[in-house]
This record gives sequence, C-alpha cells and structure tokens, in this order.
Amino acid sequence: MTSPAEDVDVAAARPQPRRGVSLRDSGPPLALVVIFVAFSALSSDFRSIGNVQNIMDTAAVLAVVTCGITFVLMMGSIDLSAPGVMGAAAIAVALLVANNRNGNELGVIGILLAILLAAALGCVSGLALVLLKVPSFMTTLGVSAVGLGLATLMFNGVQPNITDGTLASWPVERLLGLSYLTWIAFACVLVGYLIQRYTRLGRYAFAIGGAEEVLALSGVKVAPYKVAVFTLAGAFYGLAGVMVTSQLSAGLVQAGKGYDFAAITAAVVGGTLLTGGRGGILHSAVGVLIVMVLTNGLVQVGVSPYWQGGVQGLIVVAAVAAAVLPQRRRNQVTK
Amino acid sequence: MIPPANPEIGQQPHPMVPALEVKNLVKHYPGVKALDGVDLVVRQNEVLGLAGENGAGKSTLLKALVGLVRPDSGEIWVRGEKVRLRSVVEAANHGIGMVFQEQSLVPNLTAAENIVLGSEGAGVRGGVYRWETMRKLAQEQLDKIGSDINPLARTDTLSFADRQMVEIAKVLRIEQRSQHPPVIILDEPTSVLESKEIETLFTQVRRLREFASVVFVSHRLDEVLDVCDRVSVLRGGQSVGEVATAGAAPADLHRMMIGSTGSDDHYHDQAYERSAEPLRPMLSIRGLSGKTFRDVDLEVAAGEIVGIVGVHGSGREDVCRALFGAEPTLAGEVTLDGKRLDLSSTRAAVAAGIGYVPAERKIEGMVGPMSVADNMTLTKQQSRCAGPIVMPKRQSSLVDRWIERLSIRTPHRGTQIQRLSGGNQQKVVLARWLVAGDIRLLLLDHPTRGLDIGARSEVYRLMRELADSGVATVLLADSLEEAIGMSDRIVVMSDGKATKHVPCPSGDKPTPLDLVKEMV
Amino acid sequence: MSTPVIAQPAAEPVVVKGGPTPAQRLTSFMPVIALVALLAALTIADPDFLTQKSLTAAIRTSAPLVVLAAGATLVVLCGGIDLSIAALASLSTVFFAMWLPDLGGLTTLAVIAAAAGIGAIQGIAHVVLRIPSFIVTLGGMSIFSAVALVISDAGPIRVVDRDATNWLTLYVAGYIPMAFFVAVVVVAVIALVLKLTPLQSYITATGYSESAARLAGTPVDRVKVGAFTVSGACAGLAAVMLVSRNFSGSPTMADNLLLPAVAAIVVGGTAITGGHGSIWRSLVGALVITLLRVGLPIVGVPSAYEQILYGAIIVAAVALTLDRSKVLTIK
Repeated sequence: MTSPAEDVDVAAARPQPRRGVSLRDSGPPLALVVIFVAFSALSSDFRSIGNVQNIMDTAAVLAVVTCGITFVLMMGSIDLSAPGVMGAAAIAVALLVANNRNGNELGVIGILLAILLAAALGCVSGLALVLLKVPSFMTTLGVSAVGLGLATLMFNGVQPNITDGTLASWPVERLLGLSYLTWIAFACVLVGYLIQRYTRLGRYAFAIGGAEEVLALSGVKVAPYKVAVFTLAGAFYGLAGVMVTSQLSAGLVQAGKGYDFAAITAAVVGGTLLTGGRGGILHSAVGVLIVMVLTNGLVQVGVSPYWQGGVQGLIVVAAVAAAVLPQRRRNQVTK
Repeated sequence: MIPPANPEIGQQPHPMVPALEVKNLVKHYPGVKALDGVDLVVRQNEVLGLAGENGAGKSTLLKALVGLVRPDSGEIWVRGEKVRLRSVVEAANHGIGMVFQEQSLVPNLTAAENIVLGSEGAGVRGGVYRWETMRKLAQEQLDKIGSDINPLARTDTLSFADRQMVEIAKVLRIEQRSQHPPVIILDEPTSVLESKEIETLFTQVRRLREFASVVFVSHRLDEVLDVCDRVSVLRGGQSVGEVATAGAAPADLHRMMIGSTGSDDHYHDQAYERSAEPLRPMLSIRGLSGKTFRDVDLEVAAGEIVGIVGVHGSGREDVCRALFGAEPTLAGEVTLDGKRLDLSSTRAAVAAGIGYVPAERKIEGMVGPMSVADNMTLTKQQSRCAGPIVMPKRQSSLVDRWIERLSIRTPHRGTQIQRLSGGNQQKVVLARWLVAGDIRLLLLDHPTRGLDIGARSEVYRLMRELADSGVATVLLADSLEEAIGMSDRIVVMSDGKATKHVPCPSGDKPTPLDLVKEMV
Repeated sequence: MSTPVIAQPAAEPVVVKGGPTPAQRLTSFMPVIALVALLAALTIADPDFLTQKSLTAAIRTSAPLVVLAAGATLVVLCGGIDLSIAALASLSTVFFAMWLPDLGGLTTLAVIAAAAGIGAIQGIAHVVLRIPSFIVTLGGMSIFSAVALVISDAGPIRVVDRDATNWLTLYVAGYIPMAFFVAVVVVAVIALVLKLTPLQSYITATGYSESAARLAGTPVDRVKVGAFTVSGACAGLAAVMLVSRNFSGSPTMADNLLLPAVAAIVVGGTAITGGHGSIWRSLVGALVITLLRVGLPIVGVPSAYEQILYGAIIVAAVALTLDRSKVLTIK
C-alpha cells in the first residue's frame, strides 16, 4: 500500500550489511518462550500437559490458514479472502462426504474437491489482481464475499451434518498425544516450507516481495506466479475449511470467520513484513504459536475470551509499527 | 574465460565488425528530443566510454540498447546484423546486458539466485530448485570475474562492491543465451563506490575486455579516461565526437560535453542590473548536518542567486530538502532574515516564507489531475480565502492575473495541470509560491529539467525578476552552464561538504572547467 | 541538458495530453446510470415497486449505509481505506444502549463524539506510526468487535427508552423518512464544508499525490486524521440510526454493513487510489446498493446471491475507477 522510492536518494539508500538479522529472526521465538514461561508461572492450569495439547490442537486450523497467507504476504500482497473461501470449502465438503443432506459419500475425493473449489476461488483473486490490476486487498475482499455467497447458497437453510468416518476422526483420534488435525497442520507447515525453499514458485514469491521490478528486468513474467500463489493460498484455506467442518461435524457458512485477521496477525508477529520479501513459513508457524499461547494464556488467567480479537488487533498494529518505524522517512507516503 | 568461440553455434564474426553499432537513433519525449540522431560504434573487445552532461541523452540511449526504450527511428546493429530490441530479454538474447545504476538485484535472494535469475537453466527442474547445481552455475560466473563471494550468501548481506560483482556475474550469463561475446553496459558503476572498490572494479573491467565489449558510463571524467580505450561524447541528444583516451585530458572531454558556452543573453544576465548597495543577508546556515551532508555553511543574501553544484551523491539535493523541512537534520542552525528557522516540517518552512520547486515535477511538484488554478493556490490558501471560506471570484482573478503575468499558456484556469506542457506546468508550480507575495527564499531543484529552450529562457527571466524583487534563491542547476549563467555565487559540494565558494559576478564568470576541478 | 535541444518553442503544443477518455466519461456517470437502470428494471419486474410506500421504505433502510459510506469516502479520497466503520458502528450501538439510561437525550451526541474520537485515534496511529490505513483499521475492526463483545457480554442490549431515537423515525413533509433526511443533510453539510473551504483542495491533493501535497506545504497529516475522525463520527451516527430501527444495541449489529459500504463507495465512482470522487457519489452508490438489496427478492433472486454480487461489484467497480497511472506495481 505504500508507494516507495519516490524520494529515495541513491547515496543515502546505500545499504550496509545488516547485523540485526539474527536478532530479528530470533525475536519471535524468544517472545514465544517468554510468554510461555510467564503464563506457566501465572497459571497452573496453563502449564498442564492437557492444556499444551489443547493449544496445539486449537492452533491447527490457524496454522494451515497462515501457511497460505504467508505466501501472499511474502509477495507484498494481502489476502482477506480466508473467511469466504473457508466457508465455501466447509459447506462444500460437508455436502460431498457422507452427510444428512444428500446421498454423497465421496470421502477423500470430496475433501479434494472442496480444496479444489477453494483453490479456484483463490485463483480468481489472483486473476483479478493481475488482469484487472485491482489491488489485492480489494479483490480478496470481493472474493471473500463471493465465497460466503456460495456457501450460503449451498447451505440453503439446512445445516449439513457430516457422518463421514475419516473426517470425524481428525479432531478426536490422537497420535503421540496430538490430534490428527495437529499432524495435518504440521504436514502443511512442512509442505509450505518445502515449497518456499525448493520451488521456483516459493522463491519467486519471495523475490516478488523483495523487488518485483528486478524480476521483470531479468525477463521473468511475474503474473503467472502471482496467480499461482493466490491459488495455493486458496487451497490452504480450503483445507482449513475442511478441518473446521471436521471439528464441528457440520458445515457452517461462518467456518472461516476471523481467520483472515488472525492469520495476518500470526504472520506479522512471526516476522513476515507486510511490504513483502521477508519472513516465511517457519516464522509464521512461530507467530501462530505466539497468538495461540497468548490467547489461551489470557483465558487461563481469567481474561474474557471475547478479548481475543482485540488482543490480535493490538498485536498486529504494534508489530507492524515496530517493523515500519525504524524505516520511517519524512515525506514518506503511507496509504 | 572461454570466449565466444563455440564454432558450432555462433559464427565468429570478422574482428573488424563492430560488436554493436547505433545508427541515427532518434527518440522524442513530449517537449524534448532526448535522442536526436545518435551514432555509436562499440568495437569488439574494447572499453568504450560514454560521456555527456545531465540530459545529454546518455540514459535514454542506454535504455534503448537494452530494450527498455523503443526509439522512434534509427537502427541498432549487433555484430553486423540489424536487430530490434523490444525487451531486456531480447537484448540479452543478442548479447547486450546492462549493470544498472540503481542496482537491480533482488535483495532477499541469494547471490546465486540473482545471478541465474530468469535463466536458471539446469538449476531448476520441473519448478523445483536444485540448489547444488544452481550454486555451481553461479560459481562458474563468479569464477569468470575472479570473485570469491559465497554464492549462497543473501544478497543484502553483501557489501555494495560485492553486489556490483554479483551484478556483473549476472550480466555475463547472457553469454549463455546469445552464444556470442557479450556487450556489457556499466551505467555509473562508480557513483557509490569507495576508491578502493573502484580500483577493483577497474581491474574487473579490464578483465572483461578479454572476452567482451564494455560500454562504461561515468560522470567522473578522469575515471572514464583511465579505464576506457575510446570515449564517445553526447550532447543535446547528438553524438558530438570521439576521443582516443591515450593522451587526452578531462578538460578536452569536458569541452566537448558542454560545447560552446551559451550567450549571457540566454540567462538574461545583463538585463538586470544589481544594485551596488551591500546585500541584506537573508538565509544563513551554520554547520548544517544531515544523513548525506555535514557541516554545511551557506549565506544567501536577499536578491542573490546562489548556485550549488556537485556530482551525483554530493548531497546538495538533501541540503535543499532539509531547508524546506522535508529531510531530517542532525545538527546546525539556520536563520532566515534574522529569525531562527524551524526545520521540522514543510508547513513551518512555508509559514516562514520559503518556497521549494522539486526536481521531480510530475511526482512531487504538481498534483496532475487538479486544475491550474487549484495547483496555483494550493499552498497559499489565504490568497483565495476570506477567513476560512474560499472565494471563487478572488481565486479566478488572482489566477488569471498570474497566468497573464507569467504568460502561462493554458486553455483555461480550470484545465488540469497535467495537460499543459512542461514549461507551463513549471510556471504554475513557481507561481504557487508567488501568489501571496510573501516569499523570501526560493529553493529551486533543477527548475528547468525537461524543459525546452524557450521555456527555460522564460524560467530564467522569472528567476531574475524574483531576485530583483529581493527574493533569495538557492539554485540546483541542471547543468554547470546554467549554474554559472544564473548564479551570483556558486558553492561547490562534494561528498556532503560545501568545499568551495566561487564568486560568479556578471561579466567575470568562472568557466565550467574551473568548477569541475573543485567538484571531483 | 546543456544545450538547446529544440530550437522552436512556438511549435510546442499548449495542451499535451487529451482530456478524459470515453471510458472515464462513462464511469463518471456510472452510479446515476446504474441507479436509473435499477429502478427501471425493478419497476418492470414488479410494477408495484414504483410506489411511494416501497420507495419510502427503501430509502429508510438506506440511511445508515449512506452515512457510513459518506464518512469512509473521505478516507478513501485521501488515498486510504477505513475497514473499521462497521465494527465501530456496532460498538457504538452498544455504547448507545448502555449510556442511554444515564445520559438520556445527550446520548446521541455522546456516542457520535466517542466514535469520532476513536476514529481520530486510528487516524493518528496511521499518520504517526506510518502504518498503512487498511492495517490500522483492520486492527481497529478487531479491537472494536472485542470491546463490544466484552462490554455487552456478547448479547443484544434492549433499548427501553425509545424517546431518544424517536425523532429519527419521523417523516419530513410526510414522505421522507427523518433518518434519510438526516443522512442527506450530513452528506450536504460535509460536501458544503469541503467546497467552501480549502479542505477540498487539501484532500484532493493528498489523495492524488501525497508527496506533492506535502511539498506544497498542505497539512497532509491533519487532513488525514480529520478524515478518519469524520469517518468515525459517521459510524456513530449510523449506529444511532440502527438503534432507532432495532430498539437495541448489539456487538454485531452493523458488521454486515462493511461490504455494502465499501461497495457503495466504489460503485459511486470514487477511485480507491484516492483523489478522484466525491461524497455525493457515495450517496448515489449507497442508493444503488440498497436498491439491489431490496430488489433482488423482488426479481426472485435468493438473497444468498447478494454477497456474491457485492464481491463482483466491488472488484468490477474498482477495476473501472482505478487510476492505473499511479500504481506501477499492483500489490
């Protein structure tokens, strides 16, 4: 949203090798440890094994959403479409696997179809961005509305309850003390990390946030990669929507409510810059844990759970301000 | 360095065929002819210098050579073959690559990725990175220039000089595309390097000559003479000659760059007689320091025009912006007409009677889609208001008066300013500071940039008139000639310091060469 | 350039570029065309629609949307965006319901003042901390919702004393609902203040080119904070209107007005890139959106399509009004 480089002096902009890198990267994990220790000291309920399991389990959906949004943020774009995309996927999967509304019993194929639908919605965001040149926060706001509309249409007034065994087992079955949902989230983080580190898509997403013009000068066509990143993000949201359905045993239009903002918060707290080009999946994973530990801890020490969103709002504003302030220039344009 | 010869692919061209030849290249921009029939020959395995003042057409020419600008007419030949360059990629396919002035590396990728960016080849298979292969590919390139940078280091952790090496290594990748010895363009590669780094770069350039042709562009003429075999000089969008560097002096080059000195008439120098009375001091700067300048002292009297000259990176632009409150300062005291000046914001500067005409007129100077009238009264709202209320009649009569007085050619005062020609836009921007009649200090940052001669002349006359009415002026001129022609006194800045004050009275002007000596 | 490049300045054209393109001309009338077309379509679909009764009902429901969109338009004109308006309005309904027993007749003013203050804080955070406006207001949205949930205990609060909001349910000249009348007056007053003072110039300059505005010495920061303040105040007023209709305050009451409000602004033709547009346009945009809302069921479209339509409208309208010359890389 900031249009940079309007008054950059070349000599002044001469960057020095950075020394603060290690601190910047180690800050969020350190903060996580500090917060964890602090709450452990404050509340005996908090430091129980059960509660830690609980934190991990509740973090699962957010972690998957954050995996998706991180790629978008790395490009310097923003994605507000998670609620709509998740809602559409949540209802879609509920109607495709064994449920009380129709005779479908597609199982895993149903899950894949729901994720495909979500990826398609993400693709629409990306296409609107590169073809119509509409800024991403507007396209994704629009696509979120479209997703919610689709979800409402499919919902059609009767809540679809799922009876599918696989899906029902995700939140309850445990492996090594963690629910399947949590393991799915771990898998997503791993896949996300591999994409970020070892694929052209991931590296280019990173580069687009660093210096999009340079890619163009080097003969790289960035548009397809942007569309692909939004599509990938949509797929992650879709999986997250499916996970919510498995948690609730029912498809809900509001399955994704608030996840867009929570994911942005997690990514930003983890050290991903909104201007793009820095951070990554592992950073975001730490961010997710910070947000969840904080949320859980506050509840454990007796703060109303309704404050959850407020705390996230404060964190995100503070984190962005902390990232932006050191680079502040006079006469800087901030949109 | 296995130069060109891969006999199966590209034919080894005859050694006398130029690596690159430009014939009669023309490029117009609205109001300006940036290139007016440029000819250029780059021979095989030579380092060709390209010299010319600001606006001589160098950057347009370079952009045309790498496909970023499409010329209106003229031809580009590569190794005896006529080519059309429509993009950087096409230029690269013909073996032409450029190291850009603003470094064009992705800061958050590794050096290796930057080197192979866009032509990863075997480094990526099916969209998946093979880091080891990629590192090897990059290492090959770095070996060519004998650099020991770690290819897997993140680019923004490298020093500036190292990044330049990465950039050169990256440009050399075009060898793989074209299968020919490449033509490498270095655009102001030394502007932000330190002297030791510059030496390394020069060694590098001499190495490149073994297997490539190099076009070397720099403001610093001694460097050009040092590293190049031949120098081609541009002036006003035309090629004005070539110099073999052996035995040439910077003065010879500079003479070609500026051509005959314009007549004093052009600057209306004679028309305005300075009064003999001692000038009343208006602006006084003591020890002003900021991020890019330090300990600047400067005095400007009422009615005086003081030019600040300096090469790119001398910090003069930032001094100007700091005076207007648009750039933070670290130390120093500034008084205007005896009163201490608040440098904290542009608002304070405006209130103190300071006006600023930015160099980037289209981005910073004017609000393009707003009308001429609204642009003119944007700052001095009091000139069109009664109390807090805008009086449209007052505004229109005021604006019409200034349109007439400055002979601004616009269909109507309500016309969007972006629809006027550059000269008329600039006059509106200037008028913005004049409408209230309370201006005491005018900071002009390249006020004639991109204007044609007629418009320049009018801006000069206006500056004279204003000075005559007692306004103190600080001028960052577009050329040395302009600075000398317009200024009563010239301050030379170099590396952020005001190093020399040169008197510049009418009738006893210094020559550009006198100044150049002080600048570098 | 040291030497003249062009010898004959007289040949220079007075006007360099052409005027608005046909597409720009069309988009400038888009909201009115859309409004008329919608009215016509709805009348054809249901001849009973064009009656005084249903039109009155339509503009009555549009009032809070008009006010919300009008306030946020100022922020958009400055080049930013305010995504917090709906959450702030929800919070304000809670404020209203909670304060009414104590403050009585002063509650309306108190709520508007509080909302204006909250808007101002967001503006200051945006300007001083240099955080992009959409992040500040997205954070604000989340915070306001949380505060509303906490203080209301996550449920609606009934408003028993209906006298305080009764005036908004009256009719002007027998036909025009008071709420809509007030909304139009608000739009007119804001538009008039802008037109009569240098503010119009300041806002336009800030929106089109913030750096040029700053270097011209215009009070860019204060203008932005002012825009957020007005946007907040409008959210407060919209909240009062909502309470007058629903007789309660609730922490989620206005939440579903965010998309329609953004849609109203962009459908009105105000460019999301800033500078171009007007508050009157948003009034027309809000009427278009309201007609769509009440009209969809009339033509037999399930209301679920409403959301999809908003999404499509927002993207399409932004694409049409965007000033592409301003943004080189679209993020």
